[in-house]
Amino acid sequence: MVKKLEFKSYKDMPIRAMTLSTMMWNLTGSWRNVRPYYDFKTSPCIAGCPTSENIQKYIYLVTEKRYEEAWSTIIESNPMPAITGRVCFHPCMSKCTRKDYDEPVNINAIERSLGDMGLDNPGWMTKVKGTESQKVAVVGSGPAGLSCAFYLARAGFTVTLFEMEKALGGVLRWGIPEYRLTNEVLDRVISSMLEAGPIEVKTGVEVGKEISLEELEKDFDAVFLGTGLTKSRSLGMDGEEGDGIEAGLSFLKKVNGGEKVDPGKRVVVIGGGNTAMDVARCAIRSGSEVTVVYRRTINEMPAIEEEIEEAEREGVKFHFLAAPLEIKRNGDSLTSVVFQKMELGKPDESGRRRPVAVEGETFEMEVDRMFSAIGEQADLEGIDGMLDCEWNLIKADQKMGQCSREKFYAGGDVVTGAASVVEAIAAGRKAAEKMIRGFRGQSEPEEIEDRIVGIDDMNIDYFTKVKQNRVPRIPSEEIKGTFREIKTGYTDELLEKEAERCFSCGVCNYCDNCWVFCPDVAIHRRENEYEIDLDYCKGCLICVEECPRNALSTREEGK
Amino acid sequence: MKKVIMGNHSVSHGVMASEVKVISAYPITPQTHIVELLSEMCGNGDIDAKFIKVESEHSAMAACVGASAAGSRAFTATSSQGLLLMHEMLHWAVGARLPIVLANVNRAVGPPWSIWTDQNDSLSQRDVGWLQIYCESNQETQDTIPQAFKIAEELQMPVMIVLDAFFLSHTYEIVDIITKEEVRKFLPEYKPEIKIDTKDPHSFGNLGGPDVYMELRYMIQEAMEKGIDVIKRVDKEFEEVFGRGYGLIQPYRCDDAETILVTSGTVSSTTRAVIDQMRDEGIKIGSLKIRVFRPFPFEEVFEVLSKAKKVAVIDRNISFGNGGIFYQEIKSALYGRTDIPIVGYIAGLGGRDITPSVIREIADKAIGDDKPERYINWIGVKK
Amino acid sequence: MKPAVMPLEELMGSGHLACQGCGATQAMRFALKVLGPETALVIPACCWAVIDGTFPHSAVNLPIYHTAFETAAVVASGLKAGLEMRGDTETTVMAWAGDGGTFDIGLQALSGAAERNDDIIYVCYDNEAYMNTGIQRSSSTPVGAWTTTTPVTNYKREPKKNMIDIMAAHSIPYIATASTAYPHDFMAKVKKAKSIRGTKYIQIFAPCPTGWKMAPELSVKSARDAVTSKVYPLLEITEHGQKLKVWKDFEPTSVRDYMKVQGRFRHLKDEEFDQIEKDVEMKWQRLVAKEKMLASIPGLIE
Repeated sequence: MVKKLEFKSYKDMPIRAMTLSTMMWNLTGSWRNVRPYYDFKTSPCIAGCPTSENIQKYIYLVTEKRYEEAWSTIIESNPMPAITGRVCFHPCMSKCTRKDYDEPVNINAIERSLGDMGLDNPGWMTKVKGTESQKVAVVGSGPAGLSCAFYLARAGFTVTLFEMEKALGGVLRWGIPEYRLTNEVLDRVISSMLEAGPIEVKTGVEVGKEISLEELEKDFDAVFLGTGLTKSRSLGMDGEEGDGIEAGLSFLKKVNGGEKVDPGKRVVVIGGGNTAMDVARCAIRSGSEVTVVYRRTINEMPAIEEEIEEAEREGVKFHFLAAPLEIKRNGDSLTSVVFQKMELGKPDESGRRRPVAVEGETFEMEVDRMFSAIGEQADLEGIDGMLDCEWNLIKADQKMGQCSREKFYAGGDVVTGAASVVEAIAAGRKAAEKMIRGFRGQSEPEEIEDRIVGIDDMNIDYFTKVKQNRVPRIPSEEIKGTFREIKTGYTDELLEKEAERCFSCGVCNYCDNCWVFCPDVAIHRRENEYEIDLDYCKGCLICVEECPRNALSTREEGK
Repeated sequence: MKKVIMGNHSVSHGVMASEVKVISAYPITPQTHIVELLSEMCGNGDIDAKFIKVESEHSAMAACVGASAAGSRAFTATSSQGLLLMHEMLHWAVGARLPIVLANVNRAVGPPWSIWTDQNDSLSQRDVGWLQIYCESNQETQDTIPQAFKIAEELQMPVMIVLDAFFLSHTYEIVDIITKEEVRKFLPEYKPEIKIDTKDPHSFGNLGGPDVYMELRYMIQEAMEKGIDVIKRVDKEFEEVFGRGYGLIQPYRCDDAETILVTSGTVSSTTRAVIDQMRDEGIKIGSLKIRVFRPFPFEEVFEVLSKAKKVAVIDRNISFGNGGIFYQEIKSALYGRTDIPIVGYIAGLGGRDITPSVIREIADKAIGDDKPERYINWIGVKK
Repeated sequence: MKPAVMPLEELMGSGHLACQGCGATQAMRFALKVLGPETALVIPACCWAVIDGTFPHSAVNLPIYHTAFETAAVVASGLKAGLEMRGDTETTVMAWAGDGGTFDIGLQALSGAAERNDDIIYVCYDNEAYMNTGIQRSSSTPVGAWTTTTPVTNYKREPKKNMIDIMAAHSIPYIATASTAYPHDFMAKVKKAKSIRGTKYIQIFAPCPTGWKMAPELSVKSARDAVTSKVYPLLEITEHGQKLKVWKDFEPTSVRDYMKVQGRFRHLKDEEFDQIEKDVEMKWQRLVAKEKMLASIPGLIE
């Protein structure tokens, strides 16, 4: 504490008014009636991410070139950024504050870059030994199962991972084409995850048929079911079983399995979801002319927007408001399909307008091959009866995955119906966390309501309009005959530039504004934080006003 | 080296010999020759000083304040209106305790415009806290400059030396010119401990509350009081080097004088001639020149005047509503210690000549009037 | 942590006597960060005469000379001369005055120093009125403003004095305007000024929440809006008045929005705002035209 100098006698004084000490004795904090304080809020991207990746934080770390920490930040909530960075429908980006300013930050591409760095730096993944006594069976090695197994193993629990196919990955392997997610990347991701902790893999084992749930219940302390949707929905048409007509999923499985498939010259794909897009884009790569027929309009298509755009770019034609009515053959060979024209009626339970047939209006399309991609279903053989099921899905707590029997948890598409990779990852992780808390006798964490920051809460004077950095890609005309990955990912330079675009909504990213503008020198710049010196802060609140990202709040003194 | 030079130039020579580092001035008659010669001296390298040619006397003093605060010896010269314009900064120099030396050529204040001598310009700065030394000859003027710096720097107080317009400023006299080398034996290089210095940063002159202001003013008064001894000692030191000394006051034939005429400036020389003449006539009369006006040498003045029967003060100035300013000062020096009649005579305002006959008139009046009715008498006013 | 956006060294400390949200105080802090410890300040009567603190205490760890109202520039000249004559040629001398001490009472001494091209930096922190004495109008007060001597019944009818043109007429080597909302710009200008010999004049727009009847947290915002609304253009005049550079790389904002958050303009009617907006635009156009014109003439001094 600096003391105010006072003179007892003129003999102690300098002969002229001349300073001998600082003004630090003058604690101007007493002038204040409102106090500022650092109060970080939730970035909308984080709130928009099903698995709550700390997007703001890892992008900030990228701007600092602290890539390992950035990667580790993702791993806290998503063990496979190299995959989600390629295939995620990135709801984070549609929540990004920047979309209300110029264009959203390409979070997805940043995530991919970090995911790839993680694969290139295997040392970043900490390896955990089995330290806990409990064992868990995880059934299904799609995103839900892998995620659940990973988080359990990382906490030291022993996991046995059951997969009915020969290779791990589930829908990631057989449902997503190479040009979006290569098997090579998938293999590397899976092996890095398996190395992270005590996970025993059992492939080619169909739980529910070869091993019963009862056995698992007996042998394990908990069971997670992440078996996904493995059966294609049928069109329900006459002649559907014949030659030239195939479920899109089965076509994708063959293509993804490396089989050479000739889909024929004129291909029609029925459906508007991601599977339909994947099928269409695989077919076009095999040299076919592809038309997607969807019974609603483009606005109702459940496929990721980007996928639709890519398909269009690659030459896929779209025919909206039509549904197959009749299959025509010459002998066994498919020759054409008659379509019923549709129009949109009143909204159904899903909120989308129901397609209704326009009486008497049909048209015929000559085709060599028709793929149906109107949806997939769960195979609940061996599950239904043991666990409560509903709508042909396992009934489980949507948040934590708890099923109707104590030891059982489920997550991913088998609980939600067709959803996304990231939602499955979230479900797997949350189930794992719930189990861990149960094993360790920990109580459930308190739920904190997100205070999400939007554009109106920001001081946008500090931002300048900068277009999103486009992800380098191979040209559309080169896609024929190749399943090469289309997007080649950001270069280091682009990664940094794109990361710099992040507003860091609601969270301090050390822009220094508060420190710069404090007239009272009452904000101390410390290692990775600022500290308000309440001894001197006069409460002008410039720091609060000038924080571009709403990372400070105010409180009246004495309240 | 002896030379015949004008009074203004004797100031310039004193400044050169004192190795002043910063000069700042603004032109005004009858001071201008001082700075003209100094400009020349700066130009030809006779003096290693920066000359800041400012746009006003106010700025001249302000520039000196800055330069002196930075630890350099600073000088300015002015006169009359110029000195009055400086007034605010004269105060500043005192409060800041800066040893600036200023040469003021006594010139009457307008209106009407007057360029001729009287003391109202410098005497109206009586209370700002500058030491004031009134000179009588070109030699004394020159010699008083290094003395003034020595006094100023020791006391950390500014000093004003005063010379009469034209009677000194423009009058040529023989002057034994002092040199830098000689002055160095008397006046050490100015190296103040406290100054504007980034290695020892202080803020000077910021807000001082009622809790400190009086003490700071008390110390200024203390310096003034200490000044009497310092001036005496410095004068003696000067005499040791140069063989010339001037004292605080200069009594002339006062030992047995019944009447003493008190003077200042060039009037003192004229007065001495009249004294000699009257002594020849057998009149017991003497004169006392007041050289140092601030600090006022109370004791020295008392010592001389208390032996007389009558004191007449010749003032080339007027404090309107009261009287001659020296007259007031003399009265206050003798007050309560003696009952000698003290009479004031106002003469020579605005450059009107104070000739021997004027002085004789004053002397005769003083001697003849045992019980003066008026203590403030205007001499030579056309009635 | 990221590298700091401005130098870490603080030559100005806490405990000073500035009001909440004081622009003049921010400006000082910014300037000292680039000037560094080899700097001496001259401060005339102005808010900063008080902000610095009470004897024997100072909030600034630099030599400061407090001086009379009208003498900032010339005391700085004298100080610089005095320092040089005792062998200190390194210290930067900066006069730091308010708009009253610059536009009004200090104009003569500033003109003198500028004409002599004395080697000083003169910064005028412009808060557009005599704030320290309690908000009286100065010749820097903008048209339309309330002050205690221009009450709403008789608000200021005269436009702000164009101090920049006055300084430009002195052909000094460097003139700039700045705003507390753009500290990096200001610091760059101070740095540039430090590197140039001669008289450098920088006028920084420094909001006074107290005097402008405005919430203190709006201090920086109003400093920013003044620039983006073209009320207070950021410019540099170099080559002894021969070249002008006006900063134009901003999204223009509304003059009305800038003025409306300030209580000192609250009494103005719509048509008065209209007139002020027109004036601002006209002055801006003239400034930009002047920049173009000057750019087209080859400089006289190499």
